[in-house]
Amino acid sequence: MSALLEVRHVSRSFRTTLAVNDVSFAVQPGELLGLIGPNGAGKSTLFTLIAGVLPPSSGQILFEGKPVTGWKAHDMARIGVARTFQIPKPYRQLSVIENVMLSAFLREKSIAGSRKLAEATLADVGLADYAGSPASALTVGLLKRLEVARALAMRPKLVLFDEIMAGLTPTEVGAMTKFVAELPARGITVIWVEHVLYAIMKTATRMVVINRGKQIAEGTPALMARDPAVVKAYLGEEMILA
Amino acid sequence: MSSIVTTTVSERRIPVLPERGRISWFELALLAISLALVVSGIAPSLRDVILLSFLFAGLALAWNIAGGYAGLISFGHSAFFGVGAYTSTILLTRYGISPWIGIWAGAVIAALFGAVLALICARLRGPFFILSTLAFAEVVRIIALNWASLTGGPEGLSIPPMSSLSGMVFASKETYAALMLGYLVFVYAITKGLEASRYGYYLFAIRDNEDAASAAGVNPLLGRALAMALSAALTGIGGSLFAQYFLYLDPTYVISPELSFQFALLPAVGGLGTAIGPVLGSFLITPLSELLRSYLGNAAAGLHLVIYSFGLIIVMLYFPAGLAGALNKLKRGRPVP
Repeated sequence: MSALLEVRHVSRSFRTTLAVNDVSFAVQPGELLGLIGPNGAGKSTLFTLIAGVLPPSSGQILFEGKPVTGWKAHDMARIGVARTFQIPKPYRQLSVIENVMLSAFLREKSIAGSRKLAEATLADVGLADYAGSPASALTVGLLKRLEVARALAMRPKLVLFDEIMAGLTPTEVGAMTKFVAELPARGITVIWVEHVLYAIMKTATRMVVINRGKQIAEGTPALMARDPAVVKAYLGEEMILA
Repeated sequence: MSSIVTTTVSERRIPVLPERGRISWFELALLAISLALVVSGIAPSLRDVILLSFLFAGLALAWNIAGGYAGLISFGHSAFFGVGAYTSTILLTRYGISPWIGIWAGAVIAALFGAVLALICARLRGPFFILSTLAFAEVVRIIALNWASLTGGPEGLSIPPMSSLSGMVFASKETYAALMLGYLVFVYAITKGLEASRYGYYLFAIRDNEDAASAAGVNPLLGRALAMALSAALTGIGGSLFAQYFLYLDPTYVISPELSFQFALLPAVGGLGTAIGPVLGSFLITPLSELLRSYLGNAAAGLHLVIYSFGLIIVMLYFPAGLAGALNKLKRGRPVP
């Protein structure tokens, strides 16, 4: 089986700072890959490289075996890569459903068609009651869900989740974890950056750990929790699996 | 598949936004009144005012497509106005081509100017973008002033005042009023159509959050260029109509910052990013400025500008969402975008 996404020796520097340093990994279709690392490790930068917001300084990115290095964000979206923003970026003057319709237009060109897809997606993430509200009226927790809805309404092959749990209540974290865990079965491959560790440890099929821009470990969550380099760099003294 | 647990809707009422693209009774009533004003033989002293209100409403709507919908605040739209006016007038006076055709030629050339401006300013945002549009119009004006063999330079161009249908010159102001109302309805229909289409949503997305828009597969640069081109084309049409009415053109009036500011001001007063806003803005401001000027212009030079400016400050302070926003608040008791 060929990889859905392959990242080969990708680096990105900002002036003198090497934010991402020679990172390589592959994601198979149907995987739920956890990407973890301490603050400032370069996770979000890596996401912006994969999503096409910035080109890598060096290295290659392949999607379905095709080189897509340096492609623009809107081109990546069109070939099936969706992403959420760590700090939600809603269209503030539009209603919640219109926010989602804009993503749905990628697959449903008509207003009626995209509205239907957006309604289904909103119901999916539990935002149906807010469909007509302006996005500017939503709380942080709801905005995180809106980010997820917008990404999923694109019917992506690969979705990049950037800390969709931050600011959620424990109940919401539980529900969201269950929701994300079911995405691979629906044909959506997931790369997930998260600080709420027990959520990601429980659901990820595989993890990549980076620290200071460098990849320091890769493997199953259970393996990662015992890896001395990971424990030292990130998890602290010991890690108790939730 | 499971859903994320829905938390119950909180006690505080979250407002619901109205749907887009619907024609309201208010709009139909406004159209009926406008038509009545055209056919009922308007009081001669008011004809100019009414006719200009229609023309500027159309121009304000055209500006609003870039400024209100796509967030491309331009203080250079008089360049497109001038390009449209000069194109149809040069085609008419030099080559005898009817303005009914020349208007569309002007629209196409203005659209090209608009697209070029959007591409030149691709990386500029906020005040830097605004200042560049202002500078762009200055460049166009200076070219028009100096390229005398084409534009007549500072002396300008005149259209022979012989009324004919094919020459789009009319003896009666009612005909002109009908023409300007036709223009207004044309631009209004395009605006409503845009609002209710996928392309309109793309513009809203680019305005509200460019990063999110590109993450959703929208090409922001293309969207900005097309919005500016459409806005410029419609502004150019207004310029041609203006030329056909005044029968005289010179660069210092048709390509001026004052005119550019006026195009931006009317939607700002009426309500940015709404269809009805620019129309209300023009229906309020154009008569006000014209009447103040004719009553006070001679008595106390400049006084009309002082009164006019105070009026604007009051609107900006107390109706930040414009007249359209204030009306909606009255009607529904909730704000509108």
